[in-house]
Amino acid sequence: MKNAIHSVMRGMKWACGHKVRTIVLLVVFTLLAPNPIRSQFVDPCCAILATGLTTISNTLSSVIGGGLNSILSIEKDISKFEQTVVWPQNLINQARSLVGSVQGTFNQIQGIMRIPVNSATLPGTQQFEQNLLSRDPNQIAQTSAQYTAVYGAVPNATAASPQVRDMADMTDAAAQAAMKRAIEIDALADLELQAADQINQSIQTAAPGSAPIIEAQADAWLVRANAYTQSATADLMRVRAIDLANASANVKNGAANAAAVQQQIYNLLKRQ
Amino acid sequence: MSLTNVLFGFFFVVFSYWMVIARTRRQVLALTLAGVLAVTLVTPPTSQAQGTLVTAIQSVLNVINGVVKKALDSINSVRNAISDFYKQTTWPVALINQAKAMVTKMIGQYRSVMQNIFSINLKSATLPNPTRLENAMRNHQTSDFASLTSSFGNTYGSLPNTTAASPNDRTMMDMDDALAVDNLKTLKMSDAAGDLILQAADNMENAASQAAPGSAPFLTATAVVASIQSQALTQKMLAAELRQEAARLAHENALLKRGSVMTGDVNTQILNLLKRK
Repeated sequence: MKNAIHSVMRGMKWACGHKVRTIVLLVVFTLLAPNPIRSQFVDPCCAILATGLTTISNTLSSVIGGGLNSILSIEKDISKFEQTVVWPQNLINQARSLVGSVQGTFNQIQGIMRIPVNSATLPGTQQFEQNLLSRDPNQIAQTSAQYTAVYGAVPNATAASPQVRDMADMTDAAAQAAMKRAIEIDALADLELQAADQINQSIQTAAPGSAPIIEAQADAWLVRANAYTQSATADLMRVRAIDLANASANVKNGAANAAAVQQQIYNLLKRQ
Repeated sequence: MSLTNVLFGFFFVVFSYWMVIARTRRQVLALTLAGVLAVTLVTPPTSQAQGTLVTAIQSVLNVINGVVKKALDSINSVRNAISDFYKQTTWPVALINQAKAMVTKMIGQYRSVMQNIFSINLKSATLPNPTRLENAMRNHQTSDFASLTSSFGNTYGSLPNTTAASPNDRTMMDMDDALAVDNLKTLKMSDAAGDLILQAADNMENAASQAAPGSAPFLTATAVVASIQSQALTQKMLAAELRQEAARLAHENALLKRGSVMTGDVNTQILNLLKRK
């Protein structure tokens, strides 16, 4: 105890002897001493902060939370509407299954259309009929020869008049072209049926959003098919036009022949 | 905070020690300057006024109540508008039901009437052979081609044997008969196919009466595919008709060619006869 009092006394003496140093020490330590923490309960700054944060939280809950809840309820409503009215899964599945059933029906039709219809009995006609019903465009090259074997060639220049030869040649050409076109159209129809199968299969695995794309492709195929049908109809009209032209030519030739016979009879009577 | 206290204690001891042991005024001055420097560096910046904090909170609240609230209200109103648009303009349930009801109504209105018209008996033959042929031609069956061929032979006669007709005539007759019978068979096939196509159309129409806007694209797509297939069958029939018409033309032309050759032969024979006289 004595030592402590003695030390304090010494310190006091030193401070009295060194006033400037003591003042410097006091000033520096006073300024540098760490400040005590302010209590959250008493400090008005924290109270304001707490009130502010509470207000922000309440505002977030009411304004943003409320707004988001309204949006959520509308979204739920839209979602329910879309799932029950616009795109109900059960009806989509039902439609897909109908596509499968239609496909089955058309497979049955294709089976029917492949039944052979050949009916010729003689070797030459059997070969020609086989060619006409072949649905194979590679066989078109043999059509003309087989046609001539069945229906005969154009008479040579000594056997028929030029008019008759022209008419016969034109008629043969129209008939052969029609037969060749028939082979082509059969082959095209087979390809169209094949493409239709593929498209139908892709519809069965499509989504409501992708089905219209497939439908657009199917529409394009339909347009193409219509064009081929028109082409076949055009050939049919050509055949009928040639038929009409032949009928007219027969009348013309008949008139010319009658005039010639008349002239010859007249000449004969003159000689007598 | 404890670290701050330790640092302050350390500084207190060192600074006091140096201040006590300083010998000259210059050393004291140096220590004083060091102390001033330490005070300058360590002293925290002047605290902001409490009014600034209130302003900051208020500005956050303003943002929430202003920009954010306005944005949410706008989104809300847009979504509401979209919902109304869907329900009232794009997919109004009343019109969807009306469309389905119309499909159902039209099924009732037309289907059976059309089926009845289409199934009216068109047969008119009276004699036994033509009656059998007509039955075979119009029965929509594809399993009785043999019966069709024999009925055709009984009605139109079979091919004459080699002594009864020239080879040219026999060939042409065989070809004509073959193409005629081929086409009658093709027509039986297309009749059967036509029945199936009508059945498919009925199924598609039934499905349309229960469809939703989202399932209808499947039905329209498959209907278009069915149209392609139907078009292909029409083409096959046209091809058959082309063959038939071409064969008829070829037949007439063959007769013309033969007639022309025969006329030439007759002319020559007459000339020869006159020459002999």
